[in-house]
Amino acid sequence: MSGGERGPSSVERQSQLWRRLVGDDGPIGTGLTLVAALLALALVAPLAWLAVEAADLGWEAVDLTTQSATVEVLVRSVALVAVVTGASVVLGVAMAVLTVQGEIPFRRFWTVVCALPLAVPSYLGAFAAISAFGPRGALSHVLDPVGLSMPTIYGFSGAALVLTLYTYPYVFLTTRASLLSLDASLVEAARTLDCSRWEAFRRVTLPQILPGVAAGALLVALYTLADFGTPNFMRVQVFTQFIYARYTGFMRPYAVLLSLQLVAVTAVILAVESRIGADDEGAYESRGNRGAVELGLGRWRYPALLLPAVVAVAAIVLPIWIFVLWLTQGGPGYQSGGLAFSWTYAENSVKVALMAAGASILVALPVALRSAASDSRLARFADRLTYVGYAVPGIVLGIALIRFSLEVVPAVYKTVPLLVFAYVVRFVPQAVGSIRTSTQQVDGRLTEASRVLGRSRLGTFRSVTLPLIAPGVATGAALVFLTTMKELPATLILRPTGFGHTLVTYIWRVREAGLYGKAAVPALVLVVVSALSMAVILAGGER
Amino acid sequence: MTKDKRFGRRQLLKTVAAGSTAAIAGCSLSPSGGGTDTPGENGTDDGDDGDGSGQVPGEIPDLSTFRGSGAIVEGRPAPGGTSIRDLPNLTGSLNVYIGGGEGGIYAQFMDMLENFYPDFTVSPNAAPSSSHAQTIVEEAQAGETRADVFWSIDASSLGYVADEGAYEPLSDEAVDPVPSRFTGEDNAWVGVAGRARAVPYNTNELSEDDVPNSVMDFPGTDGLQPMGWAPTYGAFKSFVTAMRLLEGDDATRNWLESMKSAGTERFPNEFVVSSQVADGALTSGFANHYYAMRVKNQRDDPPIDLAFTEGDAGALVNIAGTLKVQGTDKGDLVDTFVRHLLSAEAQEFFATRSFAYPMIPDVQPVGGLPTIDELSPPDIDLSELSNLGPTLELMQEAGVSG
Repeated sequence: MSGGERGPSSVERQSQLWRRLVGDDGPIGTGLTLVAALLALALVAPLAWLAVEAADLGWEAVDLTTQSATVEVLVRSVALVAVVTGASVVLGVAMAVLTVQGEIPFRRFWTVVCALPLAVPSYLGAFAAISAFGPRGALSHVLDPVGLSMPTIYGFSGAALVLTLYTYPYVFLTTRASLLSLDASLVEAARTLDCSRWEAFRRVTLPQILPGVAAGALLVALYTLADFGTPNFMRVQVFTQFIYARYTGFMRPYAVLLSLQLVAVTAVILAVESRIGADDEGAYESRGNRGAVELGLGRWRYPALLLPAVVAVAAIVLPIWIFVLWLTQGGPGYQSGGLAFSWTYAENSVKVALMAAGASILVALPVALRSAASDSRLARFADRLTYVGYAVPGIVLGIALIRFSLEVVPAVYKTVPLLVFAYVVRFVPQAVGSIRTSTQQVDGRLTEASRVLGRSRLGTFRSVTLPLIAPGVATGAALVFLTTMKELPATLILRPTGFGHTLVTYIWRVREAGLYGKAAVPALVLVVVSALSMAVILAGGER
Repeated sequence: MTKDKRFGRRQLLKTVAAGSTAAIAGCSLSPSGGGTDTPGENGTDDGDDGDGSGQVPGEIPDLSTFRGSGAIVEGRPAPGGTSIRDLPNLTGSLNVYIGGGEGGIYAQFMDMLENFYPDFTVSPNAAPSSSHAQTIVEEAQAGETRADVFWSIDASSLGYVADEGAYEPLSDEAVDPVPSRFTGEDNAWVGVAGRARAVPYNTNELSEDDVPNSVMDFPGTDGLQPMGWAPTYGAFKSFVTAMRLLEGDDATRNWLESMKSAGTERFPNEFVVSSQVADGALTSGFANHYYAMRVKNQRDDPPIDLAFTEGDAGALVNIAGTLKVQGTDKGDLVDTFVRHLLSAEAQEFFATRSFAYPMIPDVQPVGGLPTIDELSPPDIDLSELSNLGPTLELMQEAGVSG
């Protein structure tokens, strides 16, 4: 390194640097890489506007940050993330061990049951929990006559409970994957070396599955921090709830400042996870899977199944029961006039979701193709950059785009294109990920053969690459479509004037008006939509 | 969406054109007596039965269409004031930023107006009033006005837009029917419906005399508990803001703390508070007046009534009102629209369906409520209620977070 004085001339060095940055792919490849980088940059640029806005606050920003209310929100948000993540890890790992290693009947059935809460958006779960357990809720009618009263569901513990119920499947799924690839002979070796069952788990299994658990925990933590609907429905003052209350309550600059703080907390969580995820030390080397570990449960196998059974009833059966109850018997406000449900809301949802899926594919294709095909740093950077939008909470994105458009590009302010842009920023990583994976699986010799046989670059892409990556493109588009259908905060803030409701903004509206019963149809539609998105994710994972 | 609707309406109009003269003949602005059915709630009545009770497209139906139904609505006298029929037609389209929270009753009325006037369309956009107010000011400053009308459910949001100068004055004709205490300076805004803070109490437990005349005396008064309140509700926050302005921060904090430690229970909204009072689960509570009216209208003579305090925050009267947004090129249409909201039919509609206080003196409030002149609201500028920041802080300090 230090002997670089006598190395290549500065011109050569510069061109070397340039090559390492954009890769060595000829003018067209380089051009595509630059396009990908610019696209990725355009997606995240508006977020920077928040910093510009916050700078307007000047010294007031410091006062507001150190104000006791702000500190309390920070502490409460971090506490909620910690509690939900911790509880999800306990629940998710326990269920994964039970369904992968435990000798239980109907193993496949229970595996699906454990993953199923992912198919209900957590805000709908919260909504149902409020209706069931809230004051004068469906269950209090059952309990009141026998002299029992419900503990209040609102607040921190209620929100933590609901969030855990709907996010632990992230840990369950990632842990399950790690457990399935665990080498049983290692555990057996530990057992023959006189380790107790628990010790074998702690010293052999746990280090092996830790990166998987951490990956799931990261998803739980990010989801909890960014979730807008649940804390708002449960009335717990965490960042998203607090920001929205300030945004609507004559304190917009404060809301902007809080948004930046929320982004900072997100960054810290990502940094912490990258430490744990990368820390493989302590994990024993192992090659391949030599049979799965079996955990003899004996008589305990039936009591053990109570855990997934109770969770499934609380997380899946209860909300669906409540929504169907509203539908068939009518809930609060089901029959009263005004705010009637219209299928045009579903049309609106489908319309923007289709646009978001299409636009995401257009953006994701160059980014993912370059990232998979080129070794340039810029291409990989563009790929990574798109993930920023995924980690940024929807409420922050919504506020950033509203402010940015109003001040910089008023022509798109509160228009459908801006709304679709927000969805692309938020969900394009799903498309990038699935397209990149399928591109990496394309045999390079096929495209080479096509080129040798005289096909142009574009022709090769069209007739060879595209058909091969089509399933990846379809998966990506489906994921963007389905997640857009469920998106709440950005839609709420960016919905154009005169556009009408979408399914989720309508649910938000009737909840605000206390006419819960009217949410029956859209809520059930969203449960189906979410179930479909889970099916797509799982099908993609098995390919 | 709106386009399709309008197209469909035109077609429908052609088919019923012949029969509609009969409907006109049956129309007169008189109440059709108590106990008649009231379409409009679930309105599938095609209006071809000639009694004018249905919503014949392009025609203004008679009063029973506007009037709500239920125990406390029946047998009301006919309202005075200007009829919609005496107002100019509405033609064109309006973007309305409408404050949320009234269960869609305002949206329902705008739907009716669209039905009366085939060439009139409204695009309502619902969000919290305070959010709309800030958006209107920001849009006006950027020269990107999106709304023609701001229909706020509270005065503070109207006051905010007025203070920031993001309005155009309404015409005198539009504002004149309303007493000046419910209009903004420079015709900046005009009240459309009123609501009073009130104390719902269970009549089996208390009589009106047991409820103190001053809200500040509540913590020291026995027999009121168990009480209920809904601190997350906007109207409650306005009530606390009013108390802050009248009594100061310390007294307000003490009041909140004493009420809390006396066991006042927290509820998600004031309808639940009022229902619980009628159930007997609560003895009394803090709520807007119309929630108790809603309970009364739904049940058979429930044991609930309202008490009003005097001259303090507990007697605050707030309004929902409208404002012409700066930069709209439809100023005349907005004025005509606002005159429709202050017509006899509209005021009867709001009074009998959402149990709001009418803003024109010729329409009576429902259910034996004291008239708006008989209430003694505190002497504060309603637009000052927009200063919510210190209120939220104070509520948090007192452990009653909004």
